[in-house]
Amino acid sequence: MAEPVAAAGHPGPGPDLPDQGTVSALARRPAALGIFARVFPRLAARLAGAVFVLWMVATITFFAVRLIPGDPAQAVLGGPGSQASPEALAAVSAQYGFDQPVIVQYFAQLGRLATGDLGRSYALNMDVGPLVLSQLGGTLLLAVLALALAWLLALALATWSTRGGKVAARVGSSLEIVAAALPHFWLATSLIVVFSIGLGVLPPISTGDVAGLVLPVLTLAVPLAGFLGQIMRESLLVALESPFVLSARARGESERGVRWVHALRHASLPAISLSGWAFGSLISGAVVVETIFARPGLGRTLLNAVTLRDVPVVIGVVMIVAVAYISMTLLTDAASRLVDPRLRLT
Amino acid sequence: MPHPARTRRLLAAGAGLITLGLLVAGCTSTGSNKSVGEPKSGGTLTYASGDAEPSCLDPHVGGNFPQALISAQYLESLVSRDNTGQIIPWLAESWEPSADGLTWDFTLRDDVTFTDGTVFDASAVQANIAHLQDPTTLSSTGYLALGKVTGTEAVSPTVVRFTLSEPDSALLESLSQPWLAIQSPTALERSQDENCAAPVGTGPFIVESWVKQNAVTLVRNDDYVSPPADADHSGPAYLDTVIWRFIPDSASRYAALQSGEVDVIDNAQPDTIVQAEQSDSIKELDSPRPGSSNRIELNSGQAPFDDVRVREAFIRSANVDDAVSSLFQGTATRSYSALSSVEPTAVSNAALFAYDPAAAGTLLDEAGWDEMDDDGYRVKDGVRLTVEFPVSTNQSIPAEQSVFEQIQATAKATGFEVKLSPMDLSSWYAALASNAYDAVSAPYTKVGPDVLRILYHSDSIVPAPSGYFANLAQVNDPAIDELLTTAASTADAAERASLYSDAQDRILEGFYVLPLYDQQNHFLLRSDVIGLRTLPTVAVPTLYDAWLNR
Amino acid sequence: MSDLEVQAGLAAQSRQSGPSRRLGVAETAAGVLALFLLVSAVVPQLLAPGDPLAIDPLSAFQPPNLAHGFGTDESGRDIYSRVVHGTQYSLVIGAVATAIGLGLGILLGTLAGMLGRVVDFTVNRFLEVLFAFPGLLLALLFIVIFGPGVVTATIAVGLSTAPGYARIIRAQLITVRSQAFVEAATVLGRTRWQILLRHILPNTLAPLFVLATLGVGQAIVWAATLSYLGLGAEPPTSEWGAMLSAGRTYITSAWWMSFFPGLFIVLTAVTATVLGRSIDRRMRHA
Repeated sequence: MAEPVAAAGHPGPGPDLPDQGTVSALARRPAALGIFARVFPRLAARLAGAVFVLWMVATITFFAVRLIPGDPAQAVLGGPGSQASPEALAAVSAQYGFDQPVIVQYFAQLGRLATGDLGRSYALNMDVGPLVLSQLGGTLLLAVLALALAWLLALALATWSTRGGKVAARVGSSLEIVAAALPHFWLATSLIVVFSIGLGVLPPISTGDVAGLVLPVLTLAVPLAGFLGQIMRESLLVALESPFVLSARARGESERGVRWVHALRHASLPAISLSGWAFGSLISGAVVVETIFARPGLGRTLLNAVTLRDVPVVIGVVMIVAVAYISMTLLTDAASRLVDPRLRLT
Repeated sequence: MPHPARTRRLLAAGAGLITLGLLVAGCTSTGSNKSVGEPKSGGTLTYASGDAEPSCLDPHVGGNFPQALISAQYLESLVSRDNTGQIIPWLAESWEPSADGLTWDFTLRDDVTFTDGTVFDASAVQANIAHLQDPTTLSSTGYLALGKVTGTEAVSPTVVRFTLSEPDSALLESLSQPWLAIQSPTALERSQDENCAAPVGTGPFIVESWVKQNAVTLVRNDDYVSPPADADHSGPAYLDTVIWRFIPDSASRYAALQSGEVDVIDNAQPDTIVQAEQSDSIKELDSPRPGSSNRIELNSGQAPFDDVRVREAFIRSANVDDAVSSLFQGTATRSYSALSSVEPTAVSNAALFAYDPAAAGTLLDEAGWDEMDDDGYRVKDGVRLTVEFPVSTNQSIPAEQSVFEQIQATAKATGFEVKLSPMDLSSWYAALASNAYDAVSAPYTKVGPDVLRILYHSDSIVPAPSGYFANLAQVNDPAIDELLTTAASTADAAERASLYSDAQDRILEGFYVLPLYDQQNHFLLRSDVIGLRTLPTVAVPTLYDAWLNR
Repeated sequence: MSDLEVQAGLAAQSRQSGPSRRLGVAETAAGVLALFLLVSAVVPQLLAPGDPLAIDPLSAFQPPNLAHGFGTDESGRDIYSRVVHGTQYSLVIGAVATAIGLGLGILLGTLAGMLGRVVDFTVNRFLEVLFAFPGLLLALLFIVIFGPGVVTATIAVGLSTAPGYARIIRAQLITVRSQAFVEAATVLGRTRWQILLRHILPNTLAPLFVLATLGVGQAIVWAATLSYLGLGAEPPTSEWGAMLSAGRTYITSAWWMSFFPGLFIVLTAVTATVLGRSIDRRMRHA
């Protein structure tokens, strides 16, 4: 049981685990100090770590953007194709602070970020904060539904292929490997060809209702299900051989009960620890899926901003995704500790 | 995902479509020719645009084609243009230039109010001209069009006088464009953010909401009274609501039209137009844009195209006809003019652009490019005959990029090395600004032949502060300058047309441009959408006369 | 966590369930495919004598037939020739991106794994920062700065995979370092760098080979995604993602233009996965 968890979740666990940092000494104090004393410093350190990461993310993006050739004021005024007057350029430079020294701009930017101000889009003529927030919902809905569907598909495939003998195992495993290798753009196009153009049963674009969600969610869920399915099937196989399942069988519990209650619960543990990764992979997928299915969302916003070199929007989306991703990692970490008592000891 | 049944069906369908497409090539339906009943009011029409989502719905700000497309539904101009190229009344009932051409009096309609309740009058027009000329508006297209306007004056509430620095024969054409449409002066006083989100005009629809990256919702203006003189009906529009969506992916856009999720799409691709011709549920509206044709401009400012013989050789070596007919499958007609075919003053000269590789070879030999290197390219003084050709993937549709690829292949047979570099818009502008191009395709939309002055007058070689310049062929010919400047201030229509004709002859005979076809502007619509037409100004659709026959 | 770590984890887990030493059907098929892809990349003329860029406007948009097994595209180019000749682009992009990612990963991982706590702590924090750009985000950020194109896309993919490699390599180094033969060398008075070169690196190289095999498959899919989004290779280059992107315009009338390049991307990715796992399993049992 422990082996596949380590293999899938934490490849190659070394003697000193990462992410412990300075807390490890504190965390190893005697339990007599109580659970609060044990958990609080750990939590505080994790939060401090998260803030540090965000600060570095902001710093990297800020200085990376300085590498972009050309006058940012020009970008604000519609790029080199516009016919902006020198007065307009000067006005924009002053308005955005481009005429200030870089270090002043850096701290100004950090100050704005600290107050939640993500700046102003060059191309969309609006503040980045409200823009990103308005796009966040669509992407989250897509990601949550896709994650749920991927779990369902993976569970179904894993239970079926572990029960159906050697052939089923081979078919299941092949399906999973192929599904995991499907690029989103190709899958989306194929689904549109089959279900929208060929059969005419599902809309090829976002329609605001449930029907319009089916194809985008499928596109995101199938490759993810391929990954999750592989992990679950292996850990299910291991769990089914493990002593506690054998003893449950010996107690006379039904095969179905054994599978669903005991084995699956343990089998899903490693997959839970993958949620952070799955979230990142869904965000990458959203870039493609939202563009193809004409759905509003962060991914499409990001791609538009990249093609238009709309730097504030790119930074805004990256920051939001980083915040979401870090929160997600903290949450998965906490969830794993909750579900698996062994992890609480570290 | 191999799916045998689907594969076979699509395979057969694809083969059939191509055969049929070749058979019916050339015929375009303009819609609404079969008999339908009386127009019905009501319903929601969904329009899917493949153009970029505008950053501002006020076309005064910047001023590009996507803004023109949508703003034509809620903003109106002082004048319009009919199918024959004549200027017709719209918000202005009549107009009268002074004898010296330096002042123009426009008499305005007195029964129009903006949808925010503000009255449309001379001071409203003044506020709009001031808004366009205010540097903080950041207007580009409108600002340029008003270059000769030095001031406005309210002679009476219904008469506004324009004062010019010199006579401007293109003034009415300029004012007919959506980028110079009239907005409520009350609304213009709001911040630019507010005005960009919901401009207020006098048009048949009102901007209700705009969800960025998704759709703009327009609702009917029930008090509408001011259709242009060539509209089909009067009073309010038929449609209750218009959903204006942005679907950049052409395949998704067409699939959405097929499945009925949307009612009208623009930027239709040639293969889908051919398919639509076979369909009972979809019809086509083809409306080429005014201004320039789509053409390849040859940079005469530097080698190798500073030699007219090399320019002619390139043009003769390019097999454009076969490329256009195979890639556009009959949906585009070859052009031999620098101007769009909708411009009455356009001069077309097919003889100058005939595909003739032998003649091209002779011309290159004469010009000194008479050696060949190992790769089959011509060489002169150790330099290869290379044509740098940056291609904007934003401005050239895939079929057009394929045309360039085919030109690349046929020009190679004569010994030209054409280097196609597809790039995003900002890299493309940067390549132009740094003169790193020998050939380029840059369509330019403007009402009337004055576009020639913008594109071929030597003044336009001087870059703006951004580095951009419009005379990409770098034509520097005093005779052409003279003809274009004179034409721009000549009021007499016949004399003006003759000047533009002479200028075009010189441009075409100088082999500065290789015309391809009109700026393509194809719309596909569900067959139950009746009465959709495009405004003959810049060929944007107007939904005012449109209704749903369902 | 990165795609790569998940892949590596899956490879590691599959070795437990697959004790079989004889070649399975999947492995044989993957081997044959890998051979086909390698030949396509090195001597494409052998498999497809035609010119992948030769146009023939009069035979545009032909569905698959005897003369053109995979059909023709909008300019009448033969899709089979293009797919075969495109293998070298995809494989080279995949290999270079993997080399960049692996190279940076080895550098960072070795620094962290060998140079004591302070460096380890610093590198780990740095990796954490990089991991806050999940999936394609780092690649997109790189492209917005340096502009789109096949070179930047390759570097971008390489960069965004580097943190994953670094973390795996660090863990691997720490595991090997604590093993008996290394400790023996330490006792014998070898310096840290001698030990790294003589003992530790050779023992981490084999797993690196597995990682690289898995990574090439991932890198090819990512690079194709960037091309598909118009940020990588551009048509008429026969790179698969770019072909798919061009074919998508004609999806309603010419499905074969996007089907076959897509099929090859999937086959390549599957081949890389199966081979990577097979090599891993064999090395464990050897």
